[in-house]
Amino acid sequence: MDQRDDAVISCPEGKSGCPVVAEIRRLKEQLETLKKEYDRVSRLTECDPLTGLFNFKHLEVSLQREMERTRRTGFPLSLIMIDLDHFKKVNDVYGHQVGNAALRWVGRIWRNGIRITDILCRYGGEEFTLILPATSLKQAVLAAHRLRTSLANTPLVEEGEEIRLTASFGVEVYKATDTFSADEFLKRADKYLHQAKAEGRNCVRSMEDSSAGGETEVLPEERVALFITRWPKL
Amino acid sequence: MAKESKTPVILSLSSGKGGVGKTSLTVNLACALAQKGSQVLVVDGDMALANVDVLLRFTAHKTIRDVLERGEDPMKAVIFVEPNLGVLPASSGVPEMVDLGPAEHVLLGNILSSIVGHFDYVLLDTAAGIGSSVLWLNTFATHNGVVVTSDPTSITDAYALIKILSREYGRKRFFLILNSVATPQEGQQTFDAIARVAEQFLGIQPQYLGCVPRDNVVLKAVQEQLPFVKGAPRSKAAEAVVELAERIRRFKRE
Repeated sequence: MDQRDDAVISCPEGKSGCPVVAEIRRLKEQLETLKKEYDRVSRLTECDPLTGLFNFKHLEVSLQREMERTRRTGFPLSLIMIDLDHFKKVNDVYGHQVGNAALRWVGRIWRNGIRITDILCRYGGEEFTLILPATSLKQAVLAAHRLRTSLANTPLVEEGEEIRLTASFGVEVYKATDTFSADEFLKRADKYLHQAKAEGRNCVRSMEDSSAGGETEVLPEERVALFITRWPKL
Repeated sequence: MAKESKTPVILSLSSGKGGVGKTSLTVNLACALAQKGSQVLVVDGDMALANVDVLLRFTAHKTIRDVLERGEDPMKAVIFVEPNLGVLPASSGVPEMVDLGPAEHVLLGNILSSIVGHFDYVLLDTAAGIGSSVLWLNTFATHNGVVVTSDPTSITDAYALIKILSREYGRKRFFLILNSVATPQEGQQTFDAIARVAEQFLGIQPQYLGCVPRDNVVLKAVQEQLPFVKGAPRSKAAEAVVELAERIRRFKRE
């Protein structure tokens, strides 16, 4: 409690050791404690206790809200689904305690690599989800690459042993003109995550890698094809 | 006034390149559709450099800008040049109307949605280029019309527009109108070239809506500010536009 608070609740008759003032101070302190407790408990309902990242429930709520925001503002919303590679092996070889330490480690590294507006969640098990508001697919793919390299380059050290962790990433974008649901959004990102797993892990996959979509610039071969019949045959 | 809640055909008319005759074509198509007794609305989608009012010789007192910025009733801004032909005019010389932001597009979408139900056909005359408002109007339309001449720059720009709309916005059904052609063969050949490349590179099949021949009445109509469908109904250009209108009347509503 600061000086000003104290001044506000000093005894109007100037009595020192006034029991009423003492009681008010006690109540204010109690209120502070309760506020802190309330904050702690509300964080618990939206946080994963192991990693301190947001939990699945918060992911669901945030995703709905951000999709609505995209429909209103038009800014694209990106979503990254992440799965740690061969995580079962970490558990099998080093035990579950090290496995848990690894999950905490991953959370700590990635939390430092994202913007304050990004929402990093533990989806469950060794799966994570990153929601990137106002972010295009291109930017989101770059962000996924940054997360991928930061993890791959920073091994976890447990009992003097270096444990190298990598992860696979699937990236999808939601635009104001899209009409699919939050569930479908997660499924689509998950599809690219599966593709990343299938294509060797420790990599990023998105629509940018498939031939449909992506670049819109008219290519030289398209220009040639447009006018081929006009040009004299050589 | 017609009863509300029709399901109109909303046809955008874009070209990428400027000066290919979009506005003239839009205005004449609208007249041809109205002559058949349909309720028609033209939206001047060139929101910063409006021209529809010029070609139809009327003065707009309220524009899309007033509706967007001051919350005016959009139906009160619509000017009926015929009992069944309305125009929602745009402002001219207002740089901030060139490319509206996402929030304004949401608002514009709500405004247009609230009035299109009064009409059978809504024609969206867009600006040249591939700015955000051009693209947005194309996503608002149920049918995407692309106006092309056989000029190579027009062909390239039309193709670029089609590519963006199909790649980025998932639009698949395009209706090409060849404007100002010397012969019907020239129109067909130009369409064939674009359609072939669109099929090969984009995996889509644009449809040929038809062509309008190069005709002096078109230039004269612009000078006189009187649509040639009305001023010169027996001209080749007018007959071609009436034919286009007939094909538009066969569009499926969705």
